[in-house]
Amino acid sequence: MFTESWHSVGPTLDECIKCNICTSYCPVSAVTDLFPGPKYVGPQAQRFRENGQPQSPDHSVDYCSGCRVCNEVCPTGVKIAEINARARAQIVAEEGIPLRNRLLGRNETLGKVGSVAPALANFSLHNSFSRVMAEKVMGIAREAPLPHWSTTGTFGDWFKKTQSVRLKSDKKVVYYHGCATMYYEPFVGKAAVAVFEHNGYEVLVPPQNCCGLPLLSNGEFGAAEGYHQNNINKLLVYAQAGLDIVGTSTSCTLTLKEEAPELLDMHSENVHAITMATWDIFEWLRERHGLGELKTDFSEMNMVLPYHAPCQYRAHRIGKPARDILVLIPGIDLRESQARCCGIAGTYGYKKEKYQIAMDVGAELFNFVADQGEAVEMTACDSETCRWQLEHGTDLPSRHPIEILAAAYGLYDLDKRDLVNR
Amino acid sequence: MSDLLVIGAGLSGLMAAYTAVKAGLSVNVVAKGLGSMHWSAATIDVLGYSPAQPETAVKRPLEQIPALIKANPQHPYALLTNEHIAQALAAFVALSKDVGVPYGGAANPGDNLLLPSPAGAARPAYLAPKGQLAGDLSRSEPMLIVGFEGLRDFFPELIAENLNKLGYSARAAFLPLKLATNRRDFTNVQLAQGMDSKEQRALLGPALKKLLRPGERIGLPAILGIKAHATVLAELERETGAPVFEIPTLPPSVPGVRLYTALRSYLQNLGVNLTAGMEVIHASAVAPNGTPGSIQWVESATSSRPLKLLADKFLLATGGILGGGFNSEMNGRVWETIFDLPLTVPQNRADWFQVRFISPEGHPVFSGGVTVNKAFQPTAGEQPIYGNLWAAGNLLGHCDTIQERSMEGIAIATGVAAAQALSS
Repeated sequence: MFTESWHSVGPTLDECIKCNICTSYCPVSAVTDLFPGPKYVGPQAQRFRENGQPQSPDHSVDYCSGCRVCNEVCPTGVKIAEINARARAQIVAEEGIPLRNRLLGRNETLGKVGSVAPALANFSLHNSFSRVMAEKVMGIAREAPLPHWSTTGTFGDWFKKTQSVRLKSDKKVVYYHGCATMYYEPFVGKAAVAVFEHNGYEVLVPPQNCCGLPLLSNGEFGAAEGYHQNNINKLLVYAQAGLDIVGTSTSCTLTLKEEAPELLDMHSENVHAITMATWDIFEWLRERHGLGELKTDFSEMNMVLPYHAPCQYRAHRIGKPARDILVLIPGIDLRESQARCCGIAGTYGYKKEKYQIAMDVGAELFNFVADQGEAVEMTACDSETCRWQLEHGTDLPSRHPIEILAAAYGLYDLDKRDLVNR
Repeated sequence: MSDLLVIGAGLSGLMAAYTAVKAGLSVNVVAKGLGSMHWSAATIDVLGYSPAQPETAVKRPLEQIPALIKANPQHPYALLTNEHIAQALAAFVALSKDVGVPYGGAANPGDNLLLPSPAGAARPAYLAPKGQLAGDLSRSEPMLIVGFEGLRDFFPELIAENLNKLGYSARAAFLPLKLATNRRDFTNVQLAQGMDSKEQRALLGPALKKLLRPGERIGLPAILGIKAHATVLAELERETGAPVFEIPTLPPSVPGVRLYTALRSYLQNLGVNLTAGMEVIHASAVAPNGTPGSIQWVESATSSRPLKLLADKFLLATGGILGGGFNSEMNGRVWETIFDLPLTVPQNRADWFQVRFISPEGHPVFSGGVTVNKAFQPTAGEQPIYGNLWAAGNLLGHCDTIQERSMEGIAIATGVAAAQALSS
């Protein structure tokens, strides 16, 4: 029997007219022979994966980074990236999953464990001996830009600690922080809370867990389903109360909206309620601006800012909302990257066999940043792993646009990455 | 919010966006995907075959248009004067130079070029990228058609033999694939990107020179660079001492990618936001009694709730059946996907096609489309359906751009004219 998501994804392959626009724009197949391109591993190979074929024909689908350039350029609407994700899950189901991918998929667990003793965890992970061993034993590339645990406490710690000074208001919004903000970059969450409150919204941070995307992209669909179901259980009451659930991680919000339901065949009313309640933070801010509700009391910023919209916006299909808001800030000379992908694609570029591919893909972006001249002091990108890759590839600091916006409101110090005490 | 939202990123949509932004409007472009230009040879076909004489190539297209209009008064060209059409084409040629992908025409101004197709046929086209001009079959030099061993979709022997049958002097030759690429697998676009690198193309010129006989010109598959195309072409001509021309390949077409990429980045520098991957699925309109309606906004599909796209004016350039602006059902129903505009397409499936697949008369389904007035506003009867909606390009009805070979001419002329009408 075909599942519901087979019906939303599978038949689109019949729309493929074999024009190869996808292959021409694919950033991965542009740099490696290991990936023959979206058309071949997607709609073409899919013909051989159906109806109880003993095995998928071609393991090169694992070299799809999931950036979705193919989906964006396809003139006929074939869901190529989703076909590929499902094919990878089929391989995992048939052949099992390497320990490394199992580990990389468990962002939340890693975050929690490291945060018990973050300084020690950072030392243990980020010394050259450990990195060589991690590469040899696990296949995690020694140069790959892995994150650092926050040594000043988690976002949750901070939010709890500052409860007494948080804004109370009739206007409320639910903040979905995601694992990276919780354990590695609590300052992104602080900036988001400051922006919400500056615009008169009380911020609620209910219990929540990992969105499950790292599991989805490593083909562990079963575990991802558990994560998504837990989030539904925890967040549904807020969605039903008509509150917006707003996230700073473009990949988490995408997973809550569409990626998990579509890939995992979760189509209940409750799942749909979460889809419709979830917003990317800049999508939400742009909506407020459209309604004339966004404060624009910005101070002059005086900076040249290369901005790279992460691949997930492509799948959100909402344009580039962070760009649309950042251009409102006086003194920001925003340079919009047209690069297809930074290369990292979540956990893709962490893998030993894919590290160099990720760097070669990212070269387009790194060169763009270098071309913007000496005045550039930092870059901006909405997605955490992309920022880490950008820093790795350019040697410049990278910030979430919400940090830039909070700074423009005079609430945030971009160098210290902390709220300004007032 | 913008003054104008263009829906569709083909040639007509981009020419309209360019014309409107030059007239001082703020313009956004959204498209479902990247389409038509990537499939095309990137020549500008104004009129290649007249329906009155479907088997004879038109020699001077602009001079033939009055007769075409006389036979078919509803033809999109009939909405324009010949002068308008010529001006729009001149605007395109000027723009092509500005964006760095210069176009030209036949040596005798006003003539159609006659260019070798990838099957070795003679294809009439009014304008072509500079890199295709030396292939004009009205020139007398014999042709050396060079392919690469193992390159899919380009067969020099087929091309040369068919050209010989048509009375043109041509011979075929092959070079090893490694002169074009070290890749194991590739598309033509990737080959062209490889040619941007000086190291990759270093041996190509000398190898071609060895094959060349005196007095010949060299025809190659259209893979001669993307960003460095002009340099690659000039280098090869210098190193071989012979005129060099490209023959467009099967899709994805490198000349089409060059034109699209150059136009897009030029428009972006003019402040036009072009977003692909956004499919417009719904329009919200009000229609007070007795007056034309008005589009309030359109909505595009997202990963969650639809996204409202606001603008004062809307220009529909989504292409016809081929471009995806129309959809169809097995029972024969054909409809325009966003505004459900009335179409002239036969609504009975049996009437869609001629009996012969390659029919010189063309298939009726391809000549159906949207009817507009002289201001390029879709109409029902005399009255515009919406006061703030315009349409241009291949979705216009009353002509078969495939049979006529008039697709790009109509795209440019109507795209420019619609944008002028809505800007005035």
